[in-house]
Amino acid sequence: MSRVVKKSPSLCTDLPLDNTGICTKLQLLKQLLGSCFGPTGRLKQVHNNIGGHVVTTSTSSVLLPAISSSQPFVNMIKTSILNHVSRFSDCGLFAAILCLTLIEQSKLSALTANVAIKVNKHLLGVCTTYLQREDCDCKVKLDFCSSQNLITLARSVVSSKPGCVLTEAETLQISKLVVQAFLLAIPCDEPGVVSLGKTVTVTVEGYSVVHSAVFPGLLIHITDALSLNKVQNQPLTPLRMVVFSASLAGDLSELEEGTIELHPDADIDSQILDQLLELGKQMVKEEVKLFLCQKVIHPVLQHFLRSHGIIVIERLGIALMEPLIQLTGAQPVATLHTTIPKKAYGKVGDVSIQQFGSKTLLYLHPLKESAICTMLLCHRNETMLSELKVVCQKTEHVLRLTLKEPSALLGGGCTETHLAAYVRQKSMNEVTDAASVFGCSQTEYLLGVEAFCCSLECVAAALDHSGANSLIDLTHAHHCTVPPDAINENMEDSFSFCGCGLVESSPSKKWTYLNTKYKEFSPTPLSRDTTLQPCVLDSFTAKLNALQVAVETANLALDVRYVIQDVN
Amino acid sequence: MLGTKVLSQRRHIGLQKLSALAGITHSSLGPNKMYKFIQDDINGESALVCSCFRIFENLELCCAVGQLVYDTIQAHQKVYYTGSGCLLFLAGAWSRAALECLQRGISISQIITAMSEGMDICLNVCRKCSMSIEDLGVAQSEGCTALPGLGIQVSSQASSHQKGTKETGQRTVPTIGHRRIKLSRHFCEGKSENVSTVSQPAQPKRPDIAHIAEGLSHGSVSAMNLVVKASYVQSKCNQQDNICSTFDISKVVTCLLPGLPEECACVLPGCIVLLSDEQASVAHSLKEQHLKVALITGELSYSYRHLGFSRPAGIQYVSYQSALINSSKEEEWVVRLVAILLNLEVNLILVGGIASEKVIQHCCRHHILVVEKVKSSVFKTFATVTGAVPVAYATQLSKQCVGTGLKVVIWRDLSSRETKPSTAVNILTSGNSGLVTVILTSSVHGKLQALEDQFWACAYRLHHALQDRALLPGAGVTEILCIEHLQKQAKHYAKHCTQMNGDAVQHSRAGAAADHCKGVVLELLADGLIDYISTVMVNTGKFSKVKARTVVNQHLHDYNGHVGIAAKFSQLFLEGEEEDRNRDATAVKIYDNLGVKQEAWRKSLDVVFLVLQTDAEVITGIDQNTGPQDDLMLL
Repeated sequence: MSRVVKKSPSLCTDLPLDNTGICTKLQLLKQLLGSCFGPTGRLKQVHNNIGGHVVTTSTSSVLLPAISSSQPFVNMIKTSILNHVSRFSDCGLFAAILCLTLIEQSKLSALTANVAIKVNKHLLGVCTTYLQREDCDCKVKLDFCSSQNLITLARSVVSSKPGCVLTEAETLQISKLVVQAFLLAIPCDEPGVVSLGKTVTVTVEGYSVVHSAVFPGLLIHITDALSLNKVQNQPLTPLRMVVFSASLAGDLSELEEGTIELHPDADIDSQILDQLLELGKQMVKEEVKLFLCQKVIHPVLQHFLRSHGIIVIERLGIALMEPLIQLTGAQPVATLHTTIPKKAYGKVGDVSIQQFGSKTLLYLHPLKESAICTMLLCHRNETMLSELKVVCQKTEHVLRLTLKEPSALLGGGCTETHLAAYVRQKSMNEVTDAASVFGCSQTEYLLGVEAFCCSLECVAAALDHSGANSLIDLTHAHHCTVPPDAINENMEDSFSFCGCGLVESSPSKKWTYLNTKYKEFSPTPLSRDTTLQPCVLDSFTAKLNALQVAVETANLALDVRYVIQDVN
Repeated sequence: MLGTKVLSQRRHIGLQKLSALAGITHSSLGPNKMYKFIQDDINGESALVCSCFRIFENLELCCAVGQLVYDTIQAHQKVYYTGSGCLLFLAGAWSRAALECLQRGISISQIITAMSEGMDICLNVCRKCSMSIEDLGVAQSEGCTALPGLGIQVSSQASSHQKGTKETGQRTVPTIGHRRIKLSRHFCEGKSENVSTVSQPAQPKRPDIAHIAEGLSHGSVSAMNLVVKASYVQSKCNQQDNICSTFDISKVVTCLLPGLPEECACVLPGCIVLLSDEQASVAHSLKEQHLKVALITGELSYSYRHLGFSRPAGIQYVSYQSALINSSKEEEWVVRLVAILLNLEVNLILVGGIASEKVIQHCCRHHILVVEKVKSSVFKTFATVTGAVPVAYATQLSKQCVGTGLKVVIWRDLSSRETKPSTAVNILTSGNSGLVTVILTSSVHGKLQALEDQFWACAYRLHHALQDRALLPGAGVTEILCIEHLQKQAKHYAKHCTQMNGDAVQHSRAGAAADHCKGVVLELLADGLIDYISTVMVNTGKFSKVKARTVVNQHLHDYNGHVGIAAKFSQLFLEGEEEDRNRDATAVKIYDNLGVKQEAWRKSLDVVFLVLQTDAEVITGIDQNTGPQDDLMLL
């Protein structure tokens, strides 16, 4: 019996940004993500409502996928941030905070959405043009002759995630390892188009961070230590190897949806097994020493191969296939129905067993120099280890981005305050022209500028979570924080350097609180003093894109007139 | 549609929760553990638990902190089998310390830096006051009864000569034989590496397991006796040994027999399995024979396929006869299997999984004994001893896979009792494999698990002691030393800070304030350890909480750098703990595991750090239609 349920009509919200419910949710999202920002950010425990596994994190790429909302606004912002993170890894929180603050500030400025959007778009252009200029003052050229800046860049990313619970020394060690892995993944002497290698991450829980290391070649986790008695005495190097991407479990996995009709006397299992053993014999004849399979290998075949002195490893997983192919030059065999062509075989230099804590790993040494390396990460507990793994992969990606654009931006909030000061000053100069172009009054234009700059400064101020005051220096427009109890007179006493470490406090410099009005000024370029190196750097490419994503998403949000929801 | 909720933790609820959770297990700390009943109101089931780990296993905690704690304890328990109570207690105590710091306005990053420093101090103390197990054993066997405190005595001697340890060390060498001076490094700030090599024994001495085990029993005397017996049985296997000095935990299995009084617990060489009457008759017929054995890692049934094998869905069998296709096929398979086994002359099949009824019946008929659910460690041992190669399918067996040299002995006929598997059969190797079965018995069925837990805790304590080759002075001595060092460092910071304020301007005020904070944090960290010791003392039943604290504080106060406080303290501790034993000087021989303690401390601090830095819970999969709750904000 069927029943007709009356459909409820769709729900339409007019001017969603004026709706308090939606504003509260955006506010909450801002608090949630803002409190994660930076090296002293707070962690979030993510779990489901029936008491599942708890993930403790402050990383946007882990936190955001957990968030789902009935409010399309929240989901839209979440999706655009996640898209940014999936392409650039870094600056996800920056983009989210900037986007949400910009929406809030634009609403506060009481401008019409139309004007706010135009101004924001224009100012975004101002920012990106400035950032891409050669003489941009918050940009640092990366020098690949020295690893100094690369390590600084890596350390800034690693230290921005307190969930890893690393000491100062451990942070530096991990940063160096990531830089090392990054450098190993750049092939040395290949003519023509160069493609970067791969870094595989292997984690070992319950082992101190100091044991983390980078190995050229591949480390493969093995569960069945019994199978490895023969590894030690492999006389012939290089070793011939083969890798299967097809399942060798002995089942009809290729059957998919089809149907087979069989005579009851037919025994497919043993027929497939015969075929597998045939394959095994071929491997023995071809003098293969290493037999790997992405999926399951039938135990009888494993037994056969091992009894002929072949090292057998099954269940490699899809993630290891690409690096393995690059390392060995093998071609993955996708079927067991043809003879394997000669060129499908690969070679490894040597194999050895590595033991780390409770894990046994098979180490495949590269035959010649190879761009494949393995980063072994150790940490005391699972929560910290999984955060460390995410952070290291992210850091490596950030380093790779520098190959496209060898620059970095000053970190510690200095880029944001500097940009804000620059934008303020520049818009002041062009206020009459701009106002007429956008078809608004000069006051309106200036309100829009103020909202934009304020949002940038808010991101800088969001780095602090202990109630400290944010200051901006009135010469170079760098950013610093002072503890809340510092008294005005000895404010300079309570800090010595700005956020990025390039501007030193001195009695001659003037500072003012970030949230106060200051007379716009043109930030003077820093004298490039070689003794002072920036101690916090952000990825240029990631931040530039994050800036664009944030402003564009905010503009889209401001532009939404109706939200129509099907509530059935 | 499922949404997300955010529970923001103002007032650091997380730390308070952690502290409250830790409170649950206060009474299961120390040697005198108390049983707890955990009752499920819904289905009326209850569990009798004794250890911290089992309490958490039986509580269904769904808050994030609870889950985090459970994950941590589980990870610890999986490796160490002991020390979870200490881990949880300190997590609670230190979360209170962190709360106190926050209330005094110390920032989170400062707390973390200072607590990490404090942990380094403690771990350093552990390293320095650890004693090599070889020396402990040797000292005993040489009959050095003149040295009452053993390791502890020496370390306390050394403590009285803080700077002149080198002399102390050398002076102690002749009196106590080859004691490693490592113990006294505790007090000479790492300069004495060269000293430690002076008295390195030329050959590693074999440790005296009985002595070590006694010190590690921590109240579970009968369980530890079983461990020592197991070790003794294993040592006898190594022909030339006459004192027991080896312990291979991978070759120990337990067998639980309910219904017998606890005194019946015993240790036997070999692997004891319980068999049904039918199987037992096969075992009878195989007595006194040298058996050929096959090892099957999978299941022994027609339908079994290895892990990862997916059964094709789209296969249809087309046939003219409609009769019992499958069963006749199975019949065929069993006949073939038995033919293979008979051909290979296999008498005994050990199966990792289960065996189908049909296979067992057929095998029984041909006097082949099938033993199911064999542990993988037993597999490994039998594989190496007999030369058998474990295979996944019985049809895969060949001559090379079959091993020889096992015997079956009927250990005890329990068939008078109504329980199902009724005969205990011992599977022995003809040589000595070191495989040992510990039979645990109890007339109270619910207590068996606790007894088994206790046994494994003791076994792993001994195992880790032998692995670390070092032990810590137990009975609170290590903690006292840590407290003492933490407080010293705290005072140093406090002094440093006031001096700087006096000296004025060169140093920034921020530096002075930071030092002050560090001092406070270290002091509170030490308080956590004091709390730990005094709780253990309270659990002995001889002290009230107040008295315990006073006693600990008094001892810390008395310590002015020249009293053998450690030894003295531990004696006092024993007064409460082991009143019945003679309280001679020889009484001081309680040890703790070095690795376990360090790991438990570090893990508990890690939990505190994670919770301390957390300010919100994100709960996913919430049904949006449920009404709003307190503190929960719907995104």
